[in-house]
Amino acid sequence: MAGLTEAQVQDRIREEAKKALATGEVSAVVGWTSTRFEDKTKPYFAETEAECDLLVWNKYCINGTGKFALDDRYPEKKIAIIARGCDSRALNRMLRDKQLKRENLYIIGVVCDGKENAVCEGCQHKNPLTYDVLIGEPVEEQIDADRFKEIEAFEKLSPDERYEYWAKQYDKCIHCYACRNACPACNCVECYADQYRTGWQGKAADREQNQVYGLTRAYHVGDRCIECGECERVCPMNLPIMRQTKKMLKDINDLFGDYECGLPDDAMPILGSYKLEDPDEFM
Amino acid sequence: MARIGVFICHCGTNIAATVDVEKVAEAAKSMPGVAFARDYKYMCSEPGQAMIKEAIEEHNLDRIVIGSCSPRMHETTFRKMLKGTKINPYLLEIANLREQCAWVHTDKEKATEKAINLVQMAVAKVANNKPLTTSTIPITKRALVIGGGIAGIQAALDIADAGYDVTIVEKEPTIGGHMVMLDKTFPTMDCSACISTPKMVDAGAHPNITLKTSCEVEKVDGYIGNFEVTIKEKAKYVNHDLCTGCGLCQTKCPTKVTSEFNQGMSKRSAIYIPFAQAVPSKPVIDAQACLKLTKDKCGICEKVCPIGAINYQDEVKYTTEQYGAIVVATGYELVDWKKMYPEYGGGKYEDVITGLQFERLVNASGPTEGHIVRPSDGKEPKDVVIVKCVGSRDPKKGKSYCSRACCMYSAKHAHQILDKIPNSRVYIFYMDVRTPGKGYEEFYDNTRKDGAQYIRGRVSKIYKEGSKLIVKGEDSLIGRPVTVEADMVVLATAMEAAPRVEEVVSKLGISMDKDKWIQEAHPKLRPVETQSAGIFLCGTCQGPKDIPDTVSQAGAAASKVIGILNHDEMETSPMISHVDQTKCAGCGYCVEVCPYKAISLVEVPGRDGNRKVTKTVAQVNEGLCQGCGCCTATCRTGCIDLRGFTNDQILKEVDALCL
Amino acid sequence: MSIKKDDNWEPKILAFCCNWCTYTGADLAGLNRMKYPENVRTIRVPCSSRVNPQFILRAFQKGADGVLVCGCHPGDCHYATGNYFTRRRFMLMQRLLEYNGIDPKRFQAKWISGSEAAKFRDTVTEVSAQIKALGPNTKFVSPHYDNAVQAKEGGAE
Repeated sequence: MAGLTEAQVQDRIREEAKKALATGEVSAVVGWTSTRFEDKTKPYFAETEAECDLLVWNKYCINGTGKFALDDRYPEKKIAIIARGCDSRALNRMLRDKQLKRENLYIIGVVCDGKENAVCEGCQHKNPLTYDVLIGEPVEEQIDADRFKEIEAFEKLSPDERYEYWAKQYDKCIHCYACRNACPACNCVECYADQYRTGWQGKAADREQNQVYGLTRAYHVGDRCIECGECERVCPMNLPIMRQTKKMLKDINDLFGDYECGLPDDAMPILGSYKLEDPDEFM
Repeated sequence: MARIGVFICHCGTNIAATVDVEKVAEAAKSMPGVAFARDYKYMCSEPGQAMIKEAIEEHNLDRIVIGSCSPRMHETTFRKMLKGTKINPYLLEIANLREQCAWVHTDKEKATEKAINLVQMAVAKVANNKPLTTSTIPITKRALVIGGGIAGIQAALDIADAGYDVTIVEKEPTIGGHMVMLDKTFPTMDCSACISTPKMVDAGAHPNITLKTSCEVEKVDGYIGNFEVTIKEKAKYVNHDLCTGCGLCQTKCPTKVTSEFNQGMSKRSAIYIPFAQAVPSKPVIDAQACLKLTKDKCGICEKVCPIGAINYQDEVKYTTEQYGAIVVATGYELVDWKKMYPEYGGGKYEDVITGLQFERLVNASGPTEGHIVRPSDGKEPKDVVIVKCVGSRDPKKGKSYCSRACCMYSAKHAHQILDKIPNSRVYIFYMDVRTPGKGYEEFYDNTRKDGAQYIRGRVSKIYKEGSKLIVKGEDSLIGRPVTVEADMVVLATAMEAAPRVEEVVSKLGISMDKDKWIQEAHPKLRPVETQSAGIFLCGTCQGPKDIPDTVSQAGAAASKVIGILNHDEMETSPMISHVDQTKCAGCGYCVEVCPYKAISLVEVPGRDGNRKVTKTVAQVNEGLCQGCGCCTATCRTGCIDLRGFTNDQILKEVDALCL
Repeated sequence: MSIKKDDNWEPKILAFCCNWCTYTGADLAGLNRMKYPENVRTIRVPCSSRVNPQFILRAFQKGADGVLVCGCHPGDCHYATGNYFTRRRFMLMQRLLEYNGIDPKRFQAKWISGSEAAKFRDTVTEVSAQIKALGPNTKFVSPHYDNAVQAKEGGAE
């Protein structure tokens, strides 16, 4: 990190967290704290000055912090979020989806140069995009030329190979909804999959219901995905979930031009808008 | 369990020849929920309908499926029939056994199998139908006309004559629009002002018409029958309630600026009545020009006004009014040829003028009292070039459409020049001559006989040499370049949509095409309707047209409005969207895709644990929703559903089809 | 899953048709006594934008061999803009399904106006032939629906 060492950033985080709490307008600061494992941290809500000293910053701060803002949809006080680039995109996602109000958030942005997390490799936003206070000097962003490399490779397989690949994945799926719960774009008050509705989404954890769930979820979030990778990270069965949503993103990029979500530009998701000059294959 | 009745129609032999109707009826009997099934020769006939009604009573049916012709044909017939029974008219589904089965297949066995499947789908769907009731909405018996040109005036007069209150909102200080600027109208050559000013006076004096000049529409809420419109009244600085229109102020005003009405060819004062016959004939102050308002000097008008009507403190005012229907008549503007055509001098030659400037020049009440002279030196031109299609029919200039009126007004201009200036010569550069109107071709013929020289080709360049304008073009009929030394050039500048029409369009929730012409609901069959119920259009806001077409469209729009205002209330279709607000997350994406602005986010009281909170959820305005269902597929939660085509109903159809 | 190819096998093809254009076009095909295969069934919807992509998944799950979504041509939508959303939704849906192993011929979208009876006939005839050539769809089909499986293995009902 340019300028600041890991320890210095951690100090700054604690300092800003304390300052935020001291205003009296903030109920808690969401960040990370250490665990009994050296290479694991866990999400942490610091609610007192003393607790702020338990906040840590190291390469194992992996969990997304943004989605926790949804834990209280009607907060009486602000909630402070320690936000890396990806977390700020998550917050932008939920702000654009009108699930959060900006005035209820206090965003402590931290420049991040990647964690022990596979998804960080292709990160295009190391600098937080939205914040109230920024820790660290902004770094130059890298464009990931290989953003869709994995998708392109998969597309080259035969249809049957692709189907079998996914069928095997969905055979593994235990239909636990962890991917949904971690996803900042999955922010409905009541998910379609949780509702009792015959013929809509089966609840059983079998291949077919999982396929329907997997594809529907991909479609629901595909045009709003911020590519944080939380879905994949939390999957207990190691399903390559981002391969579905990234496929949507790739096609959107191919068909409708450069497209990235969670930027502070307030753009409409692709499926919620149209252009007269969109490509037309249905003639 | 539902008690469904299934009625299979033979339609004479139309269905029965290809589909084994008895077999279909027999198969229907074993479908889930079916309590009764039979076939009959003609279900839509009177005995057929009587038979269905009887069966409903006898077998205690609570919903029915009819296997017959297309629902587009007889759905309403059978709904009406159900109105006389205990079954709600919307507990009906029709299996299309004629247009989409019997008539398109030949193999009786396969057609029968398909017919059974189609009935199965309808049975599965109808089991999930819910009773729906049409609701009625009251109608405010007043109309709003946006734009006070000839289109707006005519529409307002027609509506007012039918006995309804009309408000005309006009952004300029007077009504009249472009028509009063014109000198003569083709092909009859009657005086434009002489036929349009009486209409303006009629509109101004009509007991049912309220003129709101210097006003704009600020905001439109509501829906057909119940529009709530906020009107912004610009500061006039003159109290029109007091002003008698004596005109003393404008004669004393020391500040002179160019006159819009005379297309920049004369001056007017800063406090001004746009032209002699303006309605209302009362002045306003041009705040940009007035010395008092810009520099706090002068103040002469206040001093001379015998009645004390001048009010320099005047401010923008907003009023909100209710209307049942709206007519959009925002008209056109000429294209800004100066920007588009640097090759014609881009405005640096005074003697290259637009058609509308020519109208003022040739008009007896214009800046030259009707003498055609060059603006540069006041001399009478002998050689005049008219260039057609300036700003139209040229995709390279961004306008591909034909401006429609220019061929005729150019012929009129040629005629006027040849008539008024002895020994004059007129050259008209044209691409085509289009004269589709009563008496138009004859008029064009006469103009040619008068001596106008038509040269087929575009003009590539206009430049000045001495006092002459050199017009270089091509005669494409002989394939040679042509050069004309002209004293004056008149450009047949095209119409384009009025500036800021997009604001009106977005406030009204209607749409426009790529050239910003307002989109009609259907180009042939609903030419004066917009896709929003209760909002109509007429005149050039819809596309370039001449006065006769404008006036007839205005009459048509007025009759549509009268048709609505004639009713005290109107029925709305119950097949519209509905939000389950307990599940709605309030993301608002349905709001954004709705073409009718029928969905809005509202705040409702809710609970979060023990706390009372305010939740934001979507709500459908039943008066605005047209039932397309686009919102339903946008909603990820699935909490917005379309009555009559619910998710459940469609999924049941899918399931039945795949059986 | 082994599939017995049966000459008598008829695919199940489901066509979502918008009420104002394609359904009208299909009615017109009837009025003109045009002929097309029996294996296409239409579901009437007010607008192609009413079709939720989940309906398509459901159809495959229940054993449909092909699904068509048809609407008005862009610019002609009865509801002005519905089909522009349809266009984006299903261009992406088709690719996502293809990516998951579903032949793009099994899920198609077409613009067919109320006057294009011949286009309706040609489209469903072509789609029907394409799907017949592909054979029964086994992907995404839920084995819980016995009838669907029977249809796969036993040919036409």
